[in-house]
Amino acid sequence: MDSRSLVIRSIMLLLRQKNKKMKTPKKKELLRLQRQYKTDKRIGEALGGIPEHLVAYWRRKKGVGEYAFPKYSREKIVDLWERYADDTKAGKELGVSRAAFYKWRRKYNIREKPKFLKLEQLELGLPLALLKRRSIGLQTIAQKILARKVGRSEVKVGEIVNVEPNLAMSHDNAGLVIKQFKSLGVDKVWNADRIVIPLDHRAPAESEKTADAHHSIRVFVKEQGIEKFYDIREGVCHQIIIEKGLVLPGELAVGTDSHTTSYGCIGALSTGIGATEMAVVWATGKIWLRVPESIKMTLEGELQTGVYAKDVILYIIGKLTVEGANYKAVEFYGAGVEDMSISERFTLCNLSMEMGAKFAVVPFDRVAKRYLNSVTQKSFQPVFADKDAIYENEYRFDLYRIEPQVACPHNVDNVSPISKIKGIKVDQVVLGSCTNGRLDDLEIAAKILKKRKVHPDVRMLVIPASKDIYLKAMARGLLKTFIDAGCVILNPGCGPCLGAHQGILGKGERCIATTNRNFKGRMGSVESEVYLSSPATATASAIRGEIADPREFL
Amino acid sequence: MIDKIKGRVWKFGDNVDTDVIYPGKYLPIIDAEEMAKHALEGMDKDFPKRIKKGDIIVAGRNFGCGSSREQAATCLKFAGISCVIAKSFSRIFFRNAINQGLALVQSSDLLENVKEGDEITIDFSSNQIVTKNKSFPFPALDAFVMGILEDGGLIEHTKKILRKSK
Repeated sequence: MDSRSLVIRSIMLLLRQKNKKMKTPKKKELLRLQRQYKTDKRIGEALGGIPEHLVAYWRRKKGVGEYAFPKYSREKIVDLWERYADDTKAGKELGVSRAAFYKWRRKYNIREKPKFLKLEQLELGLPLALLKRRSIGLQTIAQKILARKVGRSEVKVGEIVNVEPNLAMSHDNAGLVIKQFKSLGVDKVWNADRIVIPLDHRAPAESEKTADAHHSIRVFVKEQGIEKFYDIREGVCHQIIIEKGLVLPGELAVGTDSHTTSYGCIGALSTGIGATEMAVVWATGKIWLRVPESIKMTLEGELQTGVYAKDVILYIIGKLTVEGANYKAVEFYGAGVEDMSISERFTLCNLSMEMGAKFAVVPFDRVAKRYLNSVTQKSFQPVFADKDAIYENEYRFDLYRIEPQVACPHNVDNVSPISKIKGIKVDQVVLGSCTNGRLDDLEIAAKILKKRKVHPDVRMLVIPASKDIYLKAMARGLLKTFIDAGCVILNPGCGPCLGAHQGILGKGERCIATTNRNFKGRMGSVESEVYLSSPATATASAIRGEIADPREFL
Repeated sequence: MIDKIKGRVWKFGDNVDTDVIYPGKYLPIIDAEEMAKHALEGMDKDFPKRIKKGDIIVAGRNFGCGSSREQAATCLKFAGISCVIAKSFSRIFFRNAINQGLALVQSSDLLENVKEGDEITIDFSSNQIVTKNKSFPFPALDAFVMGILEDGGLIEHTKKILRKSK
């Protein structure tokens, strides 16, 4: 035997030995290897140098097909998802069905919707980096906006910060603010451009005192060059501010009205303060605020027919009580909120005050962006909570389980489901206010009232929240429906909500209102009663003459 | 420096709201003395007449909830109330009272242990409320907030700051 054939023989022997050690793996094992290493070559390498063709032979013997690479890579699916956030549209791009794209997405475990679509990120100047940055840190929205205001990267809960608000709102009580401002001995306001004064609480003036106050305000705004003064013709202060885009996401606003929390509907931080404090803001541009603890509310599921944002927030207040969020910031999350319009979010943030909330915010998203695009051209920088932000409490609510709710006298947390209290006679129905006087509210009411009549023993007052809403309601024929049905339409403003004028209640009278407070004597006599509900429930009650379930009319 | 407050007790329950303390119909009034005539009118029409200077309100949870109207704090102060003691205060009322120079004390045990008309003493140097036979400690106010109160309210406090900065 020559040396060459000896070498070949020994190599063959070695290989055979090796192959003998490596018995044909079982099918299950082969499949596992394939899942892990994909190709025959890499499986061979992983097993310590088995040639590719041998692995292929094993596969054939065990009936395992060649590894099929997925048609679409993870990157491709992520990219499409971030561009469309919609299975149908993204599927179309690939030429596959909605279900097929969904399968691909689930295969790569992509579940959450992107906060912003890729195109929108460019439009807003929000590079991915910014969105990723938000996932580092432990700060809530309230902390981050206040930190931004003091020029730091973070602030601690409980800390007192001295901050300059982006907007300072006063309404009719500007009369008192002016008095206090003058006593400070300062001549000029700190920034006339940031002061907003709408007259809405007693508009037009109901008494000589109010007329004098309004007059002093009109003189003052001229003197000081305050251009954002809205006289009695415009509507409710909070509605005007959101309608005219006067406050933007990520900004801080203060107002001499407790329901200033409403501006959270577009992702701003806003709260109510007193008149004396406002005088100091006018003079110095600064206000002290304690950095609040935050509460996270997650609203899941869809609302049933006849159930609205008002029912949701009344239900929440009923559970948390009137001081459940005292001194705290509330942040709303979940599919239930994402589905809500700005008007509905407004209602949520507005009434959060009734559980004591200092701030209430729905984080900025596509809905807010679309809305702001339609009202302002100013640029802004939204603020989001960190992914690991620390909340004092977290609550979860399933919207599907909520039925229409009514807050009974004399506290907003005295909430009952409609089924338990229907049948209580009412004398007056009020549809309006900053809480529920917007176009969608009027539309729901008009839909229920169409071809029906208000009960002869009931006075129903309708108050569009702003001039704009008034005009739109007119154009859509809603006002005619109301008048035909027997309603009285009042000018935009706060109306009888706070018992100032236009529909005061007498002794023993009962009212169901879409407003925000049912305190003793709120709407007139201390012996009268106020019930709070959604526009649909209030309208249904107006037709029956007693508290009624709106679902019987829809 | 506020040292001691001594006065007669008026008792109230939970959630005494701003509409009860100062009904909305009186909001156009801007004169503090006139506001005082309507203090707590929603609860008891004659209340302002029965208050003696220096009286103390002792209440339950969430005192002053509701509106941001600072008249609710102003009217109490000018009616002669020297201090409000409650189990807890609503946020805006708390700010307004401090800004008006109306002292606030938080105590969760006092309400059940005093009778209306009792004379009590609030000692700010030792943070104690002293009744006929017992004393109740209370948490001290934040130093910054106490500063405003000691200056007699936010207007005086701000004037002081403005003078200093000049």
